[in-house]
Amino acid sequence: MTPFDTHPAGLLPAGSQDRTPMPSPLEIIDARKSFRTPEGGTMTALDGISLKLASAEFVTLLGPSGCGKTTLLRTISGFETLDAGEVLIDGSAVTQMPAHRRPVNTVFQRYALFGHMSVARNVGYALEIAGRDKREIRTRVGEMLELVGLAGMEKRSIQQLSGGQQQRVALARALAAKPKLLLLDEPLSALDKNLRQKMQQELKALQRELGIGFIFVTHDQEEALTMSDRIAVLAHGQIQQIGAPTELYRTPANLFTADFLGESNLLPVKVAGGRASLRDGQSFATEHRAGEATLLLRPEALSITPPEGHALSFTGTIRETYYTGTDHQIALETPAHGTLHALLRSGAALPGLGAEMTLHAPAQGLHLIDEAAP
Amino acid sequence: MILRRLLSLYGLLFFVFVYAPILLVVIYSFNANTLNMMIWDGFTLDWYRQLFGMETSLTQSATFVDSTDQLWGAVRTSLIVALSTSVFSTVCGTALALAVARYRFRLARFYRTLMMLPMIMPDIVLGIALLIFFITIGMNLSMMTIIIGQSTFLISYVFVTVSARLAEVDTSVEEASADLGATPAQTFRKVTLPGIAPGILGGWLLAFIISMDDLVITYFIAGTGNTTLPIHIWGLLRRGIKPEINAIATLMLLFTLVIAAAGLYFRSRRQK
Repeated sequence: MTPFDTHPAGLLPAGSQDRTPMPSPLEIIDARKSFRTPEGGTMTALDGISLKLASAEFVTLLGPSGCGKTTLLRTISGFETLDAGEVLIDGSAVTQMPAHRRPVNTVFQRYALFGHMSVARNVGYALEIAGRDKREIRTRVGEMLELVGLAGMEKRSIQQLSGGQQQRVALARALAAKPKLLLLDEPLSALDKNLRQKMQQELKALQRELGIGFIFVTHDQEEALTMSDRIAVLAHGQIQQIGAPTELYRTPANLFTADFLGESNLLPVKVAGGRASLRDGQSFATEHRAGEATLLLRPEALSITPPEGHALSFTGTIRETYYTGTDHQIALETPAHGTLHALLRSGAALPGLGAEMTLHAPAQGLHLIDEAAP
Repeated sequence: MILRRLLSLYGLLFFVFVYAPILLVVIYSFNANTLNMMIWDGFTLDWYRQLFGMETSLTQSATFVDSTDQLWGAVRTSLIVALSTSVFSTVCGTALALAVARYRFRLARFYRTLMMLPMIMPDIVLGIALLIFFITIGMNLSMMTIIIGQSTFLISYVFVTVSARLAEVDTSVEEASADLGATPAQTFRKVTLPGIAPGILGGWLLAFIISMDDLVITYFIAGTGNTTLPIHIWGLLRRGIKPEINAIATLMLLFTLVIAAAGLYFRSRRQK
């Protein structure tokens, strides 16, 4: 048993109990928000976003800067108000509720710790505000610090801590009041690579242990793939696609998602009569509707040795090779398709730069994107 | 090499130019010569003893007044004025700085510029303007008019000091506080105020010292019965320079230094 078990049904507000036994931790319905720019124009940050957490999920909002992900997070925490739409937390509408009354807590990008308070007072802040008694706060702060691996650091001042430790204090502080939902605004972006990977794993484990919903904002696609139960890819204030990491990686719905998540080779195809044909005349069977479409070939789908059965082959000149230890990254310049990127297991015998080479991909289970290639 | 030496010499001369007169005032305040204070005639504490109403070997003709009651009355007036003005200016200046820094409203930049204006306004213009204003609205010149008048420009000093501090405080800390359930009032008390406290303290001390020191503006708006220390000294000087003025000046200098040192001390303690 951890101190974070979700509230037993009997403790839930009566209103939320009537609808469903277990309300969704977060539901956003057709959220719209635009800002006035300093130049006098308007900028649409959220253009009709709907999102519902099925249960205590780890959902990542992924997108380039300016895609609306931070605005969306701020409308959940209550720092921005929507022009139109609804936000429901744990089954009750909070759209008009000010930030300090919402049952969510946030881990801020640059931690936003209170520099004039000790670690213990930072972590206990929410409980102190709620007027809990000192003994209870002390116990809870101790538990929280132990949870994030900072046991015994109560008396330290914030300035004495390293970046990684500050990150943990911010996490403990946000979790101390047992929020229904934890919001994380690019919390790992200030950490170095090793620490970031360690924290990614810890956050994921923590979310499972606590059993509450996490909404994680990042522009780092690798981070999103590693941690999330589901990823919502955002661009231009809209959700481009939402789904499990593997689903988004293998079967992206549009070119933006395909391009933003991972490396990709995007080849234009024409579909007619149940077959898709490439520019160079090669073709394969597909169930995709007739018309123009785009074939997605991930770099790791290409190989030197031809697979069993029907395969697509691409012959070209090697323009670049990078060795990463586990893999060789290759840029192959082909006459019909331009430059293709391939990821080959190291150990394969590779011809040198400028040499000719043929790569193969199995012609089954290929994913077509219902959008003409750029 | 020569250039370096010349530069060092220039630096030395600069500090001599700035501090020698002040140093002389301090030295002369211990001079026993009652007739000509420019000629050193041995060490004495008589000028200080005289100020504090103690027994001295000084003759009547050497000093300005029979008793120092007027002087201490002026000190008292100055302290009351400086205390009221600085507290009032600090509250108003801080509130204004917070409003301009934290809320988006039309003309915010215009307001900021407007707040700087009293600092560059010539004292004499401000003094005349205030005098005309008080006469127009039929307000008798009193200690109250000094306090109101001084506050008009001291608010600007506090505004600038607190604004500088506010610019350094990350607004995300205030958001974090709200996020953790604190009402705007709680956030202000527990997070914003401790963050800008050094700026507020600095602004308050600055306002206090400037108020204690102001002559020109106060001269216009002080009624006859409300002589502040600078006005009193100005009055004394018109009857010729007597050595006891050096003792008064030295004490004022000491007082200012103590306040400034206290300000710096509290600031450095906060930053630890």
